[in-house]
This record gives sequence, structure tokens and C-alpha cells, in this order.
Amino acid sequence: MKEKLSFGERLQKSASRGDFSSALMLLPAVFLLAVISIYPFCWLFRYIFYDYNGFTAYYIGFKNFTRMFQDAVFWRSVLHTFEYAIMKLIIILPLSLLLAVLLNQKIKGSGIFRGIYFMPTVISSAVYSLIFGFIFAVYNGVLNAYLQKLGMIHSPIDWLGSASIVMISIVIVAVWGGFGNYMILFMSGLSSISEEIYESCKMDGANGVQSFFYITLPMLSPVLKVILMLAITTALKDYESILVLTNGGPNSRSEVMFTYIYKLIFGSQTTPQIGYATVLSVMAALIIGVITAVYMYFARKLDDVV
Amino acid sequence: MEKTHTVYSKKTKAVRALLFLLLLIVSLVTLYPVIYIALGSFKANNELLLGGTQIFPKTFILDNYKQAWEKANFAVYTVNSLIISLGVMVLSILITTMAGYVFARKKFKGKELLYSIFVAFMFVNVGSVSLRPLFELAVKVKMNTSLLSIILISTGMGQATYIFLVRGFMNTISKELDEAAKLDGCTFFQIYYKIILPLLKPVIATIGLLSFRTGWNEYIMPLVFTMSNDKLRPLTVGVVMLKNSGDGTAAWNLMFAGSTISIIPIIVIYMCTSRYFMSGLTAGAVKG
Repeated sequence: MKEKLSFGERLQKSASRGDFSSALMLLPAVFLLAVISIYPFCWLFRYIFYDYNGFTAYYIGFKNFTRMFQDAVFWRSVLHTFEYAIMKLIIILPLSLLLAVLLNQKIKGSGIFRGIYFMPTVISSAVYSLIFGFIFAVYNGVLNAYLQKLGMIHSPIDWLGSASIVMISIVIVAVWGGFGNYMILFMSGLSSISEEIYESCKMDGANGVQSFFYITLPMLSPVLKVILMLAITTALKDYESILVLTNGGPNSRSEVMFTYIYKLIFGSQTTPQIGYATVLSVMAALIIGVITAVYMYFARKLDDVV
Repeated sequence: MEKTHTVYSKKTKAVRALLFLLLLIVSLVTLYPVIYIALGSFKANNELLLGGTQIFPKTFILDNYKQAWEKANFAVYTVNSLIISLGVMVLSILITTMAGYVFARKKFKGKELLYSIFVAFMFVNVGSVSLRPLFELAVKVKMNTSLLSIILISTGMGQATYIFLVRGFMNTISKELDEAAKLDGCTFFQIYYKIILPLLKPVIATIGLLSFRTGWNEYIMPLVFTMSNDKLRPLTVGVVMLKNSGDGTAAWNLMFAGSTISIIPIIVIYMCTSRYFMSGLTAGAVKG
């Protein structure tokens, strides 16, 4: 059965199966994976023990780690990341679920509404953050102008410059840019729930709110879990919009993990501190990983209960 | 309406009207920033700096666009944005349809391992730090002065999702087609090129749109790569740079025009093809 094939014969055989062409066809993707994804990831660990400013690197042992544990600004940025993520999720998830349920009812114009709500997700977050910067502007911003005209405020609010309000402003922008995304995901989950269940529920005399809590929500729970996880990890990683809106200010009040790290590497104010930034990046990735793991643990626990 | 539907009580009618109102308000809030910036881009700069609630310009002027286009380099930025997004689109389509086809049809050692590495790096995200080694690498191979590095990085970061999409879609295409083509003398590549590629059209449309959008909207990566090279900046970087360039308050009219130039094309594309955008998004997300 297993007769020895000569090299030439084997070559011919694998050629007829398309071994070479398939390897060639896979090559570009594998090349990009290696260079764009794997290489930077390994590179990270190279400078963990170094002080590296972009030109020269000095070995400094565990100093980056001790510095991290004493770096109050970093740990505050971790807290800000949580603050931002929690506020964003609390608003964006119920809002997008509510809109998805409403649009699922086949009301007049629901296609148009859906198209409008999804529109922000095709715009660059850098550019819509810039636009919101104009809207939030203190003296010539249109938001303050409206509020003053309506008599809701007497003096203009410093939306992006006041320590107590800046987080709310950032979350507003994030919700505007992202709710359409989650709405579409919820809608695709809703479309898998069959119409008949609602019909029979209606026959039993349930109203809309009841059928939402007794049918929609439980039936949606598998999709909900995936969406929730997506939402959590996305919210923890957001920083592009914050970079444009406030650059972490005022006085680091809106600094999140990744804006802080970005400025350590590419910031123009100080010399790059790349070694230290790699340590913080690993820490940030760990924090996100732990939160994801904890979430998955509880999501599974919840499965057992229900 | 009344004929086909059951007659609603007054209370449900009120609730329905209220919910409809809610949908309307959310739409207005969603559309407002876009309308505000688009109309504002026709205002004179002193009108913008004065503020106020007036959304329509007193007189429509085109001077902002002329200034942005000629003085503020926006002609160059627009071309760069186009090159980047078209490059990312073409490259993504080529690379991911081939890879997805091989993953779906070819049996080889370590296939699932390789595939799971692709998927794993979709979730590993260490933020901006990964741009540093890529930048140093680009400098080393002298690619930091070309848009190609930006195109390659953007493609590489997005490819896993698209490969996943193609592989999933391939599973709905009958393998008998491949067999028949093979009997007719088609090679592995010819089957892809002649049989599979035409059948992949819907996925290709989705990948094309999503990757075009990614390329068009890329901000931090091109920002890092064009820090010292104004000529390579795309629109996103160029328009935000105006804000940080010191005389930010003075250049509101330019930023309004620039923002409009950067968002209107993608919104127009979206309006024509929204179905593909949405289906691509949901298909990509169910991977979890």
C-alpha cells in the first residue's frame, strides 16, 4: 500500500492537489498576521526591563514595575477607565435595546430610523469628536447657546474643561457614536425570536412591557451575553475619541489607561518613555483580560441558575 | 390602517404616539451634529465664532472650501484618504478571500491552530503601544515615507474578521461545484478565480465597504506615521491637526469645511449601501 514515491512524483502529486498554490494564497494573510500582529506583541516584552526613549535603551531591572505601583496618575487613569466604561454601558445598552425592540415592531418608517441610528458608526470617531468639540465649546458652542436660550442655565457650562462634567460629556459623545452599533446587534438577536411566541403571549393578555420581560429578555439572553462582552471590552479600550476631545484633561480628569500610555510613547510634551509604557500596556491588557474572565465566569454561573 | 389592524384603545394609542416621538427625538439628536457641521461649513468664520443657535448660515459662502482646499492642504489630504481607503479595500478583498477559501477547502496540518491564532489576535489589543515597533520597522525598511505602510497595517489589523466572514460563507457553497470544476481540469487556484470568486460577491461587497470605511476613518495610526510628514496625512489627521495647531480658534471655518469633506463621502456611500454595512456588522459579531 505505502509504496515509496520518488521526489519528482511526490512533487507532482502535491502540485495536483494544489498544495503550492494554497500555500501561496495563504501567504499574504500569514505574513500580515506575523508582522502586524505577532511581531509587535512580542516586541512589547523586549523593553519591559528597559528605559527606552526611542534612541537608546538602558537596562533598569524592575524599576518600571516599582514606578508603576507608585504612579498615582496611572491608577487614577485605571479608575477613570472604569468610570467611563460603566457610565457608557449603563446608558448605551438599555438605549440601544429599547430602540431595537421598538424598531422590531415594524412601525412606519422603521427602516429609515434604523438607517439614521446606525449612521454615526460609519463616521470616524476622531472627526465626530472634533465636531462635538465645537458643539461643547463654552462661549460659541451651540449646546450652551440652546440651553441659555431655553433658560435652563444662566452662565455657560464648560463641558470639556470642568472636572465634574468632563466625563459626562465624553460619555455623551461615545453613546452618540456607538448606540447604533449595539442596536443592530440587538435587532439581529431579536429577529431570531419567532413571531408566534408573541402572538400566543398576546392571546394570554400580556401587554408590551410584560412580554418584553417574560419573553424577549430571556429569549435574548444568549445574544445579550455576547453583546455585553463586546460592549465591555470595547468600552475599556476606547481612547481615540478622548484623545481628540480633551487629550485627557482637564488636569488628567479624563485620562484613561490608553490615553496615558499613548502620551508616554507618542506625546510631544515629554521625551518618549517607551519601556515604562510597555509595562503599563501589559498591565492594561491584564486588567481587561481579568475583567473579561470574571464576566465570563458570572455569565456562565447565571446560565446554571436560570 | 384601521382596516387591517385591530382597533387600539386610547391608552395604547397615546403610548404609541409617545414612543414614536421618542424615535423622532433620537433621530434628531443623531442627525444634528452632521447637519450642524455641514451647514456651518458655509458660514463665515466670524459668524461661527459668534456662536448662537442659528443653524442656517446668513449667507452661503463657498470660501471655506476654497481656503481649505488650497491653503490648508486639503486637496492632498483627500487624495491620501482615497488612496489609503481604496488600498485597504482592494488588499483586504484579495487577501481575505484567498485565505478564507484555503481555510474552507484545503486540509493541511496545523490548520485549526493557525486559524485560532488569527482569531486570537482579533481580541489581543494592547492599544497604541503596538504602533511603536511597527513605526520603527517602517523606518528601518524605509517605508515610513509611503502610504503603503499605513495601508498594510490597516489591512493586517482588520483581516481576521473578514477571513472569518469568507470562511463562513464558503461553507454555504456546495463542494460539488469544486469537484466538478476539478474534473474539468481546473487547478486549485482556477477554481477560486473562476468559480468561487463570482459566488463570493455578497461577502466581497461587505468586506469592501467595511474595509473602505476602516481605511477612511483611521486616525491614530496615520497620525503616528505622519507626525513629521505633512504630505502623507489623510483627512482625519489633517482636520484634527488644525485644532492642535495653536491658532485653533481662528480656523473654525477651515475645520468645519474639513470635517464636512471627511464625513460626507462616507455617509453618501453608507446611504446607498446601508444593508451591506449592517449585515457585515452582525455577521462579524456573531463570532463570539
